[in-house]
Amino acid sequence: MGLTTIDKQVSSLRAAVLALCLFLLSACGANQVIVESQFPQPTLEPIPVTLGVYFSEEFKTHTFVDDPENDTERSWVVETGTAQVNLWQNILNAMFAKVVYLDQPPSTDAPTSQVQAVLIPTISDLQYAIPAHTNTKVFELWLKYELALTNNTGQPIADWVMTAYGKTPDAFMQSNQDAVGAAAIVALRDAGANFAVNYPKVPAVNAWIQDSTATTSPLEDTR
Amino acid sequence: MTPSKLTQIIGLVGLLFTLQGCVTAKVDEMTYNPPEAGVGASSVVLLGRRHASNYDTERDFVQCVRNHIQGKDDSIDIVEEAQFLDALYPWFEPRTAPMHPGAIRELLAQPAVARKIQALDTQYMIWIDGNTERTDASGSMTCGVGPTGAGCFGFGTWSDESNYEAVIWDFSNQAEVGRINTSTSGQSYMPAVVVPIPIIAPVQGTACDGIGEQLLQFLSAKY
Repeated sequence: MGLTTIDKQVSSLRAAVLALCLFLLSACGANQVIVESQFPQPTLEPIPVTLGVYFSEEFKTHTFVDDPENDTERSWVVETGTAQVNLWQNILNAMFAKVVYLDQPPSTDAPTSQVQAVLIPTISDLQYAIPAHTNTKVFELWLKYELALTNNTGQPIADWVMTAYGKTPDAFMQSNQDAVGAAAIVALRDAGANFAVNYPKVPAVNAWIQDSTATTSPLEDTR
Repeated sequence: MTPSKLTQIIGLVGLLFTLQGCVTAKVDEMTYNPPEAGVGASSVVLLGRRHASNYDTERDFVQCVRNHIQGKDDSIDIVEEAQFLDALYPWFEPRTAPMHPGAIRELLAQPAVARKIQALDTQYMIWIDGNTERTDASGSMTCGVGPTGAGCFGFGTWSDESNYEAVIWDFSNQAEVGRINTSTSGQSYMPAVVVPIPIIAPVQGTACDGIGEQLLQFLSAKY
């Protein structure tokens, strides 16, 4: 039996109410950004050194969560872990003759004899700004890294802080999530560029490179 | 409605849609040693400056200038901006890009960079710096939807201003060989009586044509 006019109106009303509920619910969820990007192959002359790299679990799964200060705003969740690992592997593989990725940090109990030093990057801060916060027409993202270079028993060689910044203009038909994601990719590219170009300016790192390249050749690749 | 009246209405609507706001443009040019026979088989790269904190040179503006030049002389090989930036990552990122022609020598001292530049056969690097911004906006418009249809009523107006500078670097001499400035401004209008009719001033497009034309005269043997 076909639907009567009243049935059809009730069905339409239900559909409209459902659509309204879904729309209202969508406003309650967090702004989720999963930063994923492939980065270009760096144009660098590799340093003849075997470097160990330890990415902590926190680094590999790095997620920034910002809860709103009031009920009218939505929280932000920015997942950069996968992109961080992609970026750092990409830049370090181009910068050093051999790179060994370690499953655990070096220590006196478990020295990593196959490498000349170990780099341990940590993300210590991430901040973002959207046009609603700043009244400018750009989305911005800052990253702060703490970098530790140790010898193969975990004794510190150098510790330094590095920042990265990315921004992207407010674009027509671009969602806030897409824009923050684009700003994050620019910030990650900046992190790679900053590290690759400025690491010799850290005196202790420079001294280590001079010593390592003068006295030794890269060890066997154990990747 | 008679066919003649319908034609008149369609004609009027068509006329309104093709109306453009007025634009004032000024172009200053100063170039030295233009290539008499054009750039030949060598390539040119157009890059946007993105190091300023409050603006980015728009990627679509750089693309517009590229299209303008290649649209009039397709023999000029202009390397796409993104392709060049990726090929020479991390040396032309906002943080690391050379700010003066003398820095090219330092870049070319690195064998990996020199090889890439040689492969691209880049003769001229053109930096475009500037942006287009809305300087003023006023008016109001109300739109509504009712059982008999939808419509808008009101009037809006806004003004845009573009300021761009193109700086030409000669790669082989590692020197600046030209500088082109363009400033454009224009007022756009949007009257709405049922249907909003945008009368847009092509401010950025005029700036693009102004810079593109001067660069074409510098680079092309035909102009």
